[in-house]
Amino acid sequence: MLAGRTTAALVLAAGVAVAVAGGAGLMLTRHPETVQATALQAFPAPTGPIAAVPRHGTTKVAKPIALLIPAIGVSTSLIHLGLTSSGALQVPPSTAVAGWYTGSPRPGATGSAVIAGHIDSHAGPGIFFRLPQLKPGDRIYVRRADGTLAVFKVTAVQTYAKDKFPTAAVYGPAPDPELRLITCGGVFDHSLKSYLSNTIVYATEVG
Amino acid sequence: MRFTRFVRRIVLLAALPMLLLGIPAAVSASAATTSSTGTGWIRLAHLSPNTPEVDVYLYSFGDSSAQIVLHHVGYGAVAPYEQVPAGEYTVAMRAAGAVATSTPVLSSSVWVVAGHAYTVAGLGPESGLRLQVLDDKLSTPPGKALVRIVQASLRQHVVSVSFGGHVLDGSLKFASVSPYQAVSAATATLNVTGSGEDAHASVPLAAGTVHTLVVLDGPKGLMIDDLLDAAGSGTAPAGAASTGFGGMAPHAPASPLPWLSVMGAGLVLAMLGGRRLRRLSAARS
Repeated sequence: MLAGRTTAALVLAAGVAVAVAGGAGLMLTRHPETVQATALQAFPAPTGPIAAVPRHGTTKVAKPIALLIPAIGVSTSLIHLGLTSSGALQVPPSTAVAGWYTGSPRPGATGSAVIAGHIDSHAGPGIFFRLPQLKPGDRIYVRRADGTLAVFKVTAVQTYAKDKFPTAAVYGPAPDPELRLITCGGVFDHSLKSYLSNTIVYATEVG
Repeated sequence: MRFTRFVRRIVLLAALPMLLLGIPAAVSASAATTSSTGTGWIRLAHLSPNTPEVDVYLYSFGDSSAQIVLHHVGYGAVAPYEQVPAGEYTVAMRAAGAVATSTPVLSSSVWVVAGHAYTVAGLGPESGLRLQVLDDKLSTPPGKALVRIVQASLRQHVVSVSFGGHVLDGSLKFASVSPYQAVSAATATLNVTGSGEDAHASVPLAAGTVHTLVVLDGPKGLMIDDLLDAAGSGTAPAGAASTGFGGMAPHAPASPLPWLSVMGAGLVLAMLGGRRLRRLSAARS
């Protein structure tokens, strides 16, 4: 009788232990792996001559050479991006640098200048890792070859599924000097080795 | 029995993680944001040859204090675009230097739709001055430029305009505005010919740009002002941008099935043990 009770209690205890272990295992494996990002290094706004907004937009402005976003610690030179053989936007070969699409207007000239950068590499954060953290009103600075700065303020940050990419809003004509920053976002599809969305920052020049 | 209740509680506790883990998995799907910035653009122009300088006021409809005031705007002046919240506006013109509260010479209302651009121009002779609201286009056919002509020359009542040999308008009357036309992107000579005067200028019309060409009476004859209404990428890249390699992406969660089976087995075992205990206790009492 007593032995029966002990066995039954042991079976019960073992069952509870196994169930708890299963639950713990489930909890541990389902929790997504968090990757450590480097600490945010915000910096003060850059200084330099701010070129006047061109009167009719036909005035030439110098080529962009660097991008500075103090709020999210981005400070990078800008390389030139063209098109791939399939007509898609070239992306920088390095994840540590952003690039200006040479088919778009120069930053500060009339129209939407397009700058793209990677959100991450295979191993860690890319130059635009913190892009989704930008908020309306944050300032973006583009330094140009003649030393002048074009200053923009963020108006919107939006994420789109890649098959719903807003081509007109990014590459279409705009009546004033604007900026579009592009990076990846959303879910990473491990089988496609690609993110399924793009995050786009819309900014307009501060007059 | 207190002991059985205790057992039930433990079994429930063990089952809890399953419930908790099921919920976040179901709601983790996130939707893209679709909010709009809700602003449009407006620019003001004085294109009436014999009208003296004016002060131009832009009011948000129903607001008596002006949002923008441009002083001493003379013939031929076109202000840069101003980005304004979508809504109704009033444009008023007063003689240069007139007090802001005086009755305007002319006023007109403009409805600004988000994402659209407008030019509000004083057109015509002074005797028949009017404020005309022009819809400015913000898109071009792929690889093309758009061009429109504003005929603001009073001395040459009718002009013919051609670009690179292609006639854009054979007889454009004073104070009228041609519709936009798509032209092949090129830098070519723009010719404006009136009855006694003509003007020509080399104008770059790049792909993805929208232009308004204004024909003006200059001090020495006809003049052409090339306004860049909007500019975009000459060639829009196809599709989205591949700007990530996934190094910072969360890894796909492992299948929960093995752990669920372990939990299930544990629960079954606990239930069996519990039931046996209950039966033994019942038999004893």
